[in-house]
Amino acid sequence: MKQKGQGRLGWLFASPYLVYAVVFFAIPLIWSLFLSFTDWNLIAPTFNFTGFSNYIEAVKSPGVQAAFFVTFKFMFLFVPLVIASSIVVALIIHGLPKFKGLFLIGFFLPYLASGVVSSLIIKGILSYNSPINEFLRKTLGLDIDWLGNPFAALFVVALIIAWKFTGYYALILTSGFESISKEVYEAAMIDGVNPWQRFWKITFPLLYPALFTVMILSIGVTFGIFTEVYQLTGGGPNYATNTWQMEIFAKAFTNLQAGYASAIAIIASIVTFISIFIIRKLLEMWGKRNGWA
Amino acid sequence: MKIKKVASIMFAASLTVSGLAGCSTGNDSKSSTTSKNGETTIEFWAAPNPTQQVYWKEIADEFTKENPKIKVKVSPMKESPTSEASIQSAIAGKSAPTMSENINRGFAAQLAESKALVPLDTLDGWDKVKSDRNMDNTMKGWEFSDGHQYVLPIYSNAMLFGWRLDILKELGYNEPPKTYSEMLDVTKKLKAKFPDKYVWAKADIADPTAWKRWFDFFMLYNAASGGNKFIEGSEFTADDKAGESVLTFVNDLREEKGLLTRQAKDPFESGLGIFTDIGPWTIAYWKEKFPNMKWNETYTLATPPVPDGMDTSNVSTFSDTKGIVVYASATKEQQKAAMKFIDWVYSNPENDLKWLEKTSLPPARDDLTTNDSFTEFFEKNPALKPYAAAVPNAIPPMDNAKYNDLQTLIGQQAFNPVVKGEKDPKTAWEDMKKAIEGALK
Repeated sequence: MKQKGQGRLGWLFASPYLVYAVVFFAIPLIWSLFLSFTDWNLIAPTFNFTGFSNYIEAVKSPGVQAAFFVTFKFMFLFVPLVIASSIVVALIIHGLPKFKGLFLIGFFLPYLASGVVSSLIIKGILSYNSPINEFLRKTLGLDIDWLGNPFAALFVVALIIAWKFTGYYALILTSGFESISKEVYEAAMIDGVNPWQRFWKITFPLLYPALFTVMILSIGVTFGIFTEVYQLTGGGPNYATNTWQMEIFAKAFTNLQAGYASAIAIIASIVTFISIFIIRKLLEMWGKRNGWA
Repeated sequence: MKIKKVASIMFAASLTVSGLAGCSTGNDSKSSTTSKNGETTIEFWAAPNPTQQVYWKEIADEFTKENPKIKVKVSPMKESPTSEASIQSAIAGKSAPTMSENINRGFAAQLAESKALVPLDTLDGWDKVKSDRNMDNTMKGWEFSDGHQYVLPIYSNAMLFGWRLDILKELGYNEPPKTYSEMLDVTKKLKAKFPDKYVWAKADIADPTAWKRWFDFFMLYNAASGGNKFIEGSEFTADDKAGESVLTFVNDLREEKGLLTRQAKDPFESGLGIFTDIGPWTIAYWKEKFPNMKWNETYTLATPPVPDGMDTSNVSTFSDTKGIVVYASATKEQQKAAMKFIDWVYSNPENDLKWLEKTSLPPARDDLTTNDSFTEFFEKNPALKPYAAAVPNAIPPMDNAKYNDLQTLIGQQAFNPVVKGEKDPKTAWEDMKKAIEGALK
């Protein structure tokens, strides 16, 4: 009887979140699923059920195909970049004798910065007549079309987002570094382990749980890129930086094709779910095989 | 235990209620859509910029003083994430206003196709508004393919090309070129004297985003075709000869190294480029941010260049224009009150003058250069005079609900590849035509 009462109390305390989840996640998801099978634009008084035609059209569309491949290209650029930079930052902070918290806050600040503002600043820095480009052209004879070249544009976007997330991930990794016992390193030193072996044989395996979290989080980020791309390249050149969010935004809010945009959103969520699931399993297998997890 | 349970229930309920209350917009649409005690309330959404909001609030207050039975509630149009999306959400959520401004013709076509707008020509008093405001000529271009008028244009920015007059003078010209061959001569002279400068330095000309075609392709196409309709209903009716000549001209400019499609900071103001599209809003912006940009000294304005042999007077151009619509969800009383409000505003040229003074956007009327009400304003602002003169020759955007897709195709299939030297003009035009005809089916 007591157990039953406690259960009710638990549900009651969980109810605000449950209501929130139903109102803001479950209902929109069901609504989106419904819309994706219609040609409704939310304005017209009537609509038709179109079966899977929105899905078929989306799969054939160059914008959606580009979004699919761009996400993975972006992942291959962004994830190594952000992992490497956050490990370096975490290592530096971990090695500091004092003011670790202060430096962590400093590196964390870009995460709080507005994506719109930072994108506009980068746009100014990379413009044709910016001092950097004038210098590159006049001194080194280099004329780089940073946002007009497909690879350069994707790289610039990856770099900005890596800059933004480095401090956040470094925070997680620093806590991982701090949790590694000093005794382990002391024992290794007595055994004559060099710094390279120390990193790969001690630090990396013990850091793996934190690293696993950072890797999954950073992979998740690659499926939700919008602001930087919207501000810097608009998805171009020739869809080279077109992301899922850009495509959904364009179809839903520019073309007012709510049904079609919902179908793209559903496809995007399925791709995201499956991709993250597979990558997570692969990372877990990698960790288990090496005895890290 | 009982007290604990009650407290926890109340806590959970209060959290839930306050959470949901936070999601409410606080708008009670009923309060603004019903008539009580013979008083009609109409809700007017103004454009999301402070200047236009102030204008409409002042106008609404004056109107209500003279017409106490009609109350006009002015509120800013939300931009979450765009003003179009906000209107879409409001219609879907049954909370659309009675009327709003800031509606372009393409979006109006999308709304009209979904039966979300009232055809203004079906309301009593429409013809009076047109004649009172002296806008018969301007309105001709606004007729939709179903024969109705859904939008009352407030302003018409007849887009013009700005030329760096100071640089033209250094090249030996006292006025901008008017034809394609004259412009190519300028390009050759510019590159010979200033190899680092370009005629047209603008990243947008290589970008397929739909609206960007209004400010390059359509300015040139309207000029070359004499204002020929690009799409009529669901038919591709563009003038092939004019279209191909525009693409050939752009290709010639590229071959002469007159185009720069890279993102550049203030290319026209810095003199990196000497030619660009300029709207009347830019003049006010320059006054504040670039005081060195002086009318008839540093820059001048001209209608778009035309193919050789064409008449260079009364050249057509693109009109960046937005207007007022009345939503179909409004009650009959509200529709009637909305038309009364519109008539009251536009039967008095002083209201258009006030608009012009506050926004610098030329009112969409035929008599802007001849009506005495505006003479003093244009004498004080001579740089805006060419815009007023070009209003009767300004062609509004297409009225097709698929305008976004269609204009994207113009960029992707024709204009952008020609600008980048990836296609020859004839192939580009044919590819675009085929793609548009496919999209219109």
